[in-house]
This record gives sequence, structure tokens and C-alpha cells, in this order.
Amino acid sequence: MNLINSLIFLSSGLFLGWSMGANDASNVFGTAVATRMVRFSTAAFLCSVFVILGAVRDGAGAAGGLSQLGAINTLPGSFTAALAAALTIAGLSKLGLPGSTTQAVVGAIIGWNLFSGSITNLATLRRILMTWIASPVLGGIFAILIYSLVVLLIRKTKPHLLVLDRNIRFGLILAGVFGSYAIGANGIGNVMGFFVAASPFVDLKLGTISFSAVEQLFLLGGIAIAVGVYTYSQRVMMTVGNSLMALSPLGALVVVIAHSLVLFIFSSQELANLLISVGLPPIPLLPVSGSQAVIGAVLGIGLLQGLKGVRQIKWGVLVGIASGWVTTPIIAAIVGFTLLFIVQNVFGQEVYREIYYNLSPPVLERLAQAGISTEPLADLQNQTMAKGIYFRQSVRDRLTLSPAQEALVLNSAEVNNLQITPEKIATLDQGILNPVQIAALNNLVGQSFSHKWQLDQALAQQSDAWQKKDDNPQNEDFNQKLKQQLAYVQNVFHH
Amino acid sequence: MSKETPPLFGKTRFLEGLIDVFLDQVAEGAIFLQIGVTAYFENAEVTETSQEKLQQILAVKERSNDLRRSIGTLLYTEMLIPDARGDVLRLIGELYELLDKIGNNFETLLIEQPQAPGDDYRQGFEELIAIATKSVQTIVVAARAFFRNPTVVRDHIHEVRVYESEADKVALRLKKKIFGSELPYEIKAQLRDAVNAIDDLADKSELIGDHLSIFTLKRAL
Repeated sequence: MNLINSLIFLSSGLFLGWSMGANDASNVFGTAVATRMVRFSTAAFLCSVFVILGAVRDGAGAAGGLSQLGAINTLPGSFTAALAAALTIAGLSKLGLPGSTTQAVVGAIIGWNLFSGSITNLATLRRILMTWIASPVLGGIFAILIYSLVVLLIRKTKPHLLVLDRNIRFGLILAGVFGSYAIGANGIGNVMGFFVAASPFVDLKLGTISFSAVEQLFLLGGIAIAVGVYTYSQRVMMTVGNSLMALSPLGALVVVIAHSLVLFIFSSQELANLLISVGLPPIPLLPVSGSQAVIGAVLGIGLLQGLKGVRQIKWGVLVGIASGWVTTPIIAAIVGFTLLFIVQNVFGQEVYREIYYNLSPPVLERLAQAGISTEPLADLQNQTMAKGIYFRQSVRDRLTLSPAQEALVLNSAEVNNLQITPEKIATLDQGILNPVQIAALNNLVGQSFSHKWQLDQALAQQSDAWQKKDDNPQNEDFNQKLKQQLAYVQNVFHH
Repeated sequence: MSKETPPLFGKTRFLEGLIDVFLDQVAEGAIFLQIGVTAYFENAEVTETSQEKLQQILAVKERSNDLRRSIGTLLYTEMLIPDARGDVLRLIGELYELLDKIGNNFETLLIEQPQAPGDDYRQGFEELIAIATKSVQTIVVAARAFFRNPTVVRDHIHEVRVYESEADKVALRLKKKIFGSELPYEIKAQLRDAVNAIDDLADKSELIGDHLSIFTLKRAL
């Protein structure tokens, strides 16, 4: 790919980064800036620095499976989806409304699914719907608990007004800095994950310090987010911290802490693993969104103050914000669909690669092993069909399957031309795969596979490092990582 | 310009110290006033003690004026307590006005030198200055509590209100006594002004208390 093409494809990722910076910075510094505890310039500077640090230091390591856009199978397709998500978030920021970048990205992917005839995962839609309720409710509950605790503590310790002010400011800056780092580390996958393939960068080595191409790309993405923070985040910050309800500095701190705690407790696999390792039941992992938890926390503080607080809440602003949540994925899907049509038909780009399905004998054998009656499917044997929705309909016409069985049929029948070549093995990222796994791949050189699961099985036979462990909470982390590694390998060897 | 230079680090402690010293100065001013006024009415003339107390009050006033400016400058340049700095500045300003009133009224008293014949008048003035001083001292305690323990401010403000109403009663009694006497009118007028000047300190304390109660409500957690 030439440099100009790379840069054009990258541009929508950078635009998405900019939009994300303009919108997401409000979660971590919005209340601090709106209560005038931290100057906007200070907040923007700290946020930018730590977003970039988070993106480069912690974002690159997990590049393999983090990208939500990974479902899209061509570069022009992900360019367009990222552009649709970015336009949606930029529109929200223009209106001064906080939104969720992840949900905009998911919306754009749904637009792509509709356009390409791929199947939309209903679980994803359910997750979004749950987030709208779970995030603000949890944010509110946490804010109420933390606020009550902090007030008790202040009444007990009786700090001087100035000391209290200093401690709150310190807390706000610390929470903001950690939050910014997390935005960089977690968000960069959405922004730049898919464009790793289009990266025009090469690995740099300066003495003992190495700076990989992915890190350079993520640095660029981090800078895009930082520019978004500097140029356009102030308005959303004011909405979060002031327009909805006038917050006290203490309230501002409680909101940021409640937001971070909700994100940490209900979305941290590490915490769940830690609880399991000490023999405690894990906290269920719920889909939560930062922006929505912040709004819930602000409302929680309002409700805590009884009728006085309820009167202070500007319900009109709240309705605006909530309608923004609902419309974000819908608008992103519509914009995505429209843009895909334009990019495909006006610019002649391949925005999706057709996915074919074939119920070949090994597939039918696999399904039979899983307890699915394959006789009604016999007439479909060895017929290659395009588009998931048509294939699924053909199967549904013949058989009634549970959602899990249906997913297995689709997954098994998907045709992928996978060829293990030494040239491609040489390009594998050693940060994602370990040497044992790469050695196992080397043993398969020269072989080709028609389905992903066949490659997975062949790898599992080669080495324990490629074998899925039993489904229990202790192994969840390993299995999750293995899934990401397999997806990475399938992507690399796809012919 | 302010004479207080803040350190590079530890500005909070520094400013906390400035506010404490400022409040100390106002409380000191009230004590000097009580000693000075008592000394004046005891001898019915300007004594060395009353003159010395006036000088001390003027010195305290000058120092607190510097402190007031430094506190205001620091609060704004360092962007401290953004939600309460307007209130803090107003509180400090009003306390300084009170101290200014203490200095001006005492100075006027020593210039006009009203003559209060007999122990009855002396006792009346001593009682009035004691109550007025108490109200000033209580409002300083209330102001200090505003910074550290806002929940008790209300109690102190209530005390100030009681002192103010007591001061009014003593002042009324004194004025009735003055104007019921056979003293020449110019003496009556001078004594009335002296009563009003002292009672005025309690009134001002009460007014500050009213504002402080609003500031405290805003600080409620």
C-alpha cells in the first residue's frame, strides 16, 4: 500500500481519535473543570499527556484483539465505519452532549453488517441496551454511597476549608490522570486497532530503546485524541459538570471516583480473577459505559440531597443527554450504511469482502458431533453460499436450532482460505504470540485450511499452548487471550 | 500591594496561617477596645492606658489590612476554594470593617472625650463595652468555625444575636438615663454618640453573623 493510501485510511482513525478526545475527556476532567477546581488548560495538558502515555505504553501490548472494528474485513470498510462513528461523536460534541465512543463504533459496525449482509450479534445489541440502564444506575448508587461516606469522614476529621480544598483538588487531578491513562490504553484499540495493517511506519531502534511500528501508530492516535481534548472538549465538560446540575467540588470528586469504581469493578477481568483466587465469588461483569456512569453519578448526588437536589437537576438537559445515548448507535448505523454505499459506488472501494458458507462433509461431521441433526441439511451439502443472512435463512428453513447451535453452524460453515506460509510466520508479532505457539505454527507450514476451526484444531494438536482450557472462572483469562490470539492468527494467514 | 509572599510549596498552610492571624487581630482589637474604653470611663479622661490601647488598635488594623489584601490576592491567583472564595473574601472584608469601626469609634471617643459623671454611668458603659466586646469575640469564633467546623457556626451566631439584643437593652437604658438627667444638652449628645458607637459594634457583629449563616448554608455537605 502506498503512503498516500495509508494516510487516507489512517485519517478516519485520527478523526475518530479526535472525536473521542473531544467527548471522553469530559468523563475524567469534566466535573473538575466545571467546578473551577482545575483550569481547563491544566486539565487539557494532563489529559493529553496521560492519554498519549496510556496509548503508547499500554495500548500497543493488547493490540491484537482489542479492536471493535475487527469484525469488518476490509480496510476501506473500517475506514468508512470509523468515519461514521467519528462523525456521530463529533456531532454529539458539537451539541455539548457526552456520548459513548464504543457504542458509536458498534453502531457503525451494525451499519456495515446491514450493508454487507453479515449477521449482527444480538448479544451486542442487548449489551448496549443494558448499558443504558446499568451504567447510570450503578454510577448513581456508587456516588450516593461514596458521598455519604466522605461526608461522614469530613464531619469526623473536621479539616480546614483550605485543606479540604487542597485534598479535593489533588484527588481530582489524580483521578483525572488515571482516567486519562485508561482512556488512552483502552480507547486506542477502537481508534487505531484496525489500521495497524495500514500503518506506514517501520520499527525504529535507537540503541537499546525500540519503538515499534504499532507504538508509533498508537502515538499518532494518542496525539489525535490529545488534540481533540485541547480543541473541543470544553463544551462537553461544562455539560457534564455544570449544565445538568451545579456540583460542589466535593461532588465533582465523588462523581469521578464513582465513575472509575463502576468501570473498574464491573468491567475488570483482573478483579474478578483476584476474587476467585482468594476463594470469593466473582462480581458479575456488566457492560458499563464511562459517560453514562458519570451522568448517573451526578444524578445520584442530586437525589441524595432530597427534594432540594431534585429541583436543581435540569431535566431538560438530562433528556437531551439520554436521547443522545439512544440515538448514538442508530445514527452511527445510518451514517455508516450511507457512507459505505458512497465509498463503494462513488469511490469504487471494496468495503466488505464477501463471506461464503459451505456445509462441507467435515463441517457436517463436526455438527453431528455437537448433537445437531444434519440430515435435513443434506441438500445444502457442498453448496457455497454468500452472505450470512441468506445462509442462516436456508438453515432455519430446514432446522430449528438454539442460538448457540445456530452460532456453531455459522461459525463452522464459514469458508476461510487459510495458508500457513513461512513468509507470513516471519511477520507474526512476538508481543502477541509466545515462542511455543510460533513453533507450533512452524510445524504446520505448507498446510492449508478451509475453515478457521480446522486451523484451531490443528494448532491444539500441535501444542498445549493452543489448547482451550476447561470453562471455569480461573481459566477465563487464558481462554479470552487464546481467542484473541487465534483471531490474530486467522487474520494473518487469511489468503 | 500585599506584604505577604507565599512559599513555592505549602501555600494552603501558609494561607490557613494568614487567615488565623487575621482573625486573631480582630479578636485582639476587641480586647484592646474593652481595656481602653474601661480605662477612659474609670478616669473620665484620656489616660496613658487608653492612649496606648488606641495605638495598639491602630497597629492591629494596619496589619490586618495587609493580611486581608494578601488573603484576597492569594485566593484568586492560586485559584483556591473556587466555590467559597467570594464568601471568604466578603467575610474577611466585613470583619476588617468591624475592626476599622472599632478603631475609628474609639479614636472619636478619645477626641470628643465625653464626660460621664458618677459611677452609674461608668458602670453602664463598662457593661455595654463588655457585651459589645463579647459579641465581636463570638463572631470571630464563629468565623473560625466556618473554616473548620461549619456545623457549630449556627450556635455561635445565635450567641452573637443574644449579645446584640442585650447590648441594645443596655444602650437603651443608658440613653434613657442620660436624657432623663439634668446634664447639659451637649454632654447628653456626646454621651449618646458614645453609647451608639459602642452598641454599633454589636450591631455590626450581628450583621456579619447573618451573612455568615448564609455562607455556612452554602457550605453544607
